[in-house]
Amino acid sequence: MSQVVLNPRNAPPFPQAALPILRDTQLRKNVAHATDVIQAKRALLVAEKQDWQELRAAAAAIKDETLQHLDKYLIEFQERCTATGGTVHWASSPGDARRIIVKIVQETKAKEVIKIKTMTSAEIDLNPALIAAGIRPFETDLAELILQLGDDEPSHIVAPALHVNRSQVREIFARRMGRHDLTDDPQALTAAARTYLRTKFLGVDTAICGANFLVAETGAVTIVESEGNGRMCLTLPRTLIALAGIEKVIPKFRDLEVMLQLLARSATGERMNPYSSLWTGVTPGDGPQNFHVVLLDNGRSSILAHHTERQTLRCIRCAACQNTCPVYRQTGGHAYGSVYGGPIGAILTPQLMQLEHAQSLPYASSLCGACYEVCPVKINIPEILIDLRAQVTDRERKQMFRIFDPMYLAMRVANVVLASPWRFRWAQRLGRVGLLPFTRKDGWIHSLPSLGSRWTMTRDLRGIPNQSFRQWWRSRPTVKR
Amino acid sequence: MVEIAPNGKAMSEARQQILDRIRRATTGGAPSSYPELPREYTHRGRLDRNACIALMVERLREYDAKVVECAPGDLIACITDCLRKSGKCTFVAPSGLSAEWMIHGFSWKVDKDLSYAAIEASDGVVTACFAAVADSGTIVLHHSSTEGRRVVSLLPDWHLCILFTSQIVETLPEYFKRCELPPRLATYISGPSATADIEMTRIKGVHGPRFLHVIVVHDETPS
Repeated sequence: MSQVVLNPRNAPPFPQAALPILRDTQLRKNVAHATDVIQAKRALLVAEKQDWQELRAAAAAIKDETLQHLDKYLIEFQERCTATGGTVHWASSPGDARRIIVKIVQETKAKEVIKIKTMTSAEIDLNPALIAAGIRPFETDLAELILQLGDDEPSHIVAPALHVNRSQVREIFARRMGRHDLTDDPQALTAAARTYLRTKFLGVDTAICGANFLVAETGAVTIVESEGNGRMCLTLPRTLIALAGIEKVIPKFRDLEVMLQLLARSATGERMNPYSSLWTGVTPGDGPQNFHVVLLDNGRSSILAHHTERQTLRCIRCAACQNTCPVYRQTGGHAYGSVYGGPIGAILTPQLMQLEHAQSLPYASSLCGACYEVCPVKINIPEILIDLRAQVTDRERKQMFRIFDPMYLAMRVANVVLASPWRFRWAQRLGRVGLLPFTRKDGWIHSLPSLGSRWTMTRDLRGIPNQSFRQWWRSRPTVKR
Repeated sequence: MVEIAPNGKAMSEARQQILDRIRRATTGGAPSSYPELPREYTHRGRLDRNACIALMVERLREYDAKVVECAPGDLIACITDCLRKSGKCTFVAPSGLSAEWMIHGFSWKVDKDLSYAAIEASDGVVTACFAAVADSGTIVLHHSSTEGRRVVSLLPDWHLCILFTSQIVETLPEYFKRCELPPRLATYISGPSATADIEMTRIKGVHGPRFLHVIVVHDETPS
């Protein structure tokens, strides 16, 4: 499992990464089962919510307002957080964020940290940086623990280990916890994780978490979770570090009445997730007394500049688009070469990389629109995918080394041919003759040689009919009135 | 004094860079329209009080919380019964918990800065709450002196929460309306700790309390 690369800088392109996964029937079965279960639960709970569309509209509007005035709301958040005893740090790049966090941990002299699941920390590759600094991170979310002990990578933003099944979990726990007594009963496996982590919660003094929402009005931070590992990490340690993308801020406390209703139903198919925590700076006598927030940009401000793409930053990370996506459901998350897989990853990752990497991801979609339909904050993902495809193409065709790239060559030829009816007619005739040897009796082309095989490898091609529409039109018997 | 970030740049420099980038990206946009944002979703519930309370109880039971309903006069008897049936003996009480709820015959540790070890060693905890939302079966703690510090309702494996019907609202927006000031701390509990991380099989009781008991006290006079 360790060959999975989730760094868009050196991950293979999507089609290449997807191939071996498509042959892994066990993984596909695991992903299909998990996404089916979540989708069924979600569908029921969304259907019972009669004001679902109104909540979506409100959430999209709240997020758009925040993004348009992001500077104001971030400054307000910093002021309120600082006034209540927290410290706010700003990080332009993943490197900056890693250095800030490592430094805070080193100042506490901690050798171990406990972590709540945070995709943002995976985005900035935090764990390797902590380990390099001699600090051992312990993931406390059950799914993240399974991945950490199994040297695996997250494949889903809400249930990161959904590609692993119970017998694989049993094997990992037996090997890494020395618990050879375990059966593959999820109840027993969960109990083993509880026992394993209990001493860490009570003994480790520094915690790292992400954030679901930052409230500008009060400086509060919100985390939603199910297991209680979040509450442990937010309450017991002396030092707490929250890492959050700058887009996580919302204007007012009251806006949570919209966000919390949408998030739980959309993410896990629950009316409300078992635990949500909200805290503001430092509260004397209750919880960590040394509290830091690290605000991460890492390309987000450049997404803000594009009118269409800006909606990407509305995302509240519910993963509904992943669960519904016909592509994700076949490949799981690893093929996307990023911690953010599925439709949201296909638009977010290339943008975070400023299109320098992950250019294959906008194509990892059939543009069916299911993701847009389920999105609780109404991100028009297909629209952004098409726009990103255009940007990728615009960049590539200007690159000198692509002058003889067959696709761009073909496009230039097509440009000339399609510009005149005369040339188009002749091209049709040539094509008909040229393809005749490959066209079977059923009228289909099943395999083409050389470059053409790239098309016929995965799909058939209709042979060019003997008569074009124009020819048929001219030859039809004219009806006399 | 200028705080220096680990990479040697002044902290304010990264802040300024990010804010500058944001401002460049958002220039020429519309002025803030926060008060006019569309909020057409359901604000007030449609159920009458009895149905609303019944819904709360139903939701709690769906989460496998144990629910008992009682009249205000029977509360003490009800707590006594609940504690006795738990088979447990040592309980934590938040510092402001009503003395009469601390039933004689059980061992009580009042949380005046109790150590984590002392709380962890207790069998259970009894707390009040700030509000409850029937639509989602959510119990809201704002961690006042009767609701306790966050840690007291977290470490013990058994949690008894006293909920008065006057605290129950139907929808989440109704709860937000009840908050005159935003809370500094809040915990929203919708059922006992659970996970579905292994094959989406719901397993109760990971790290939070595995047993949640709620006594619903009918303190409203019928209208």
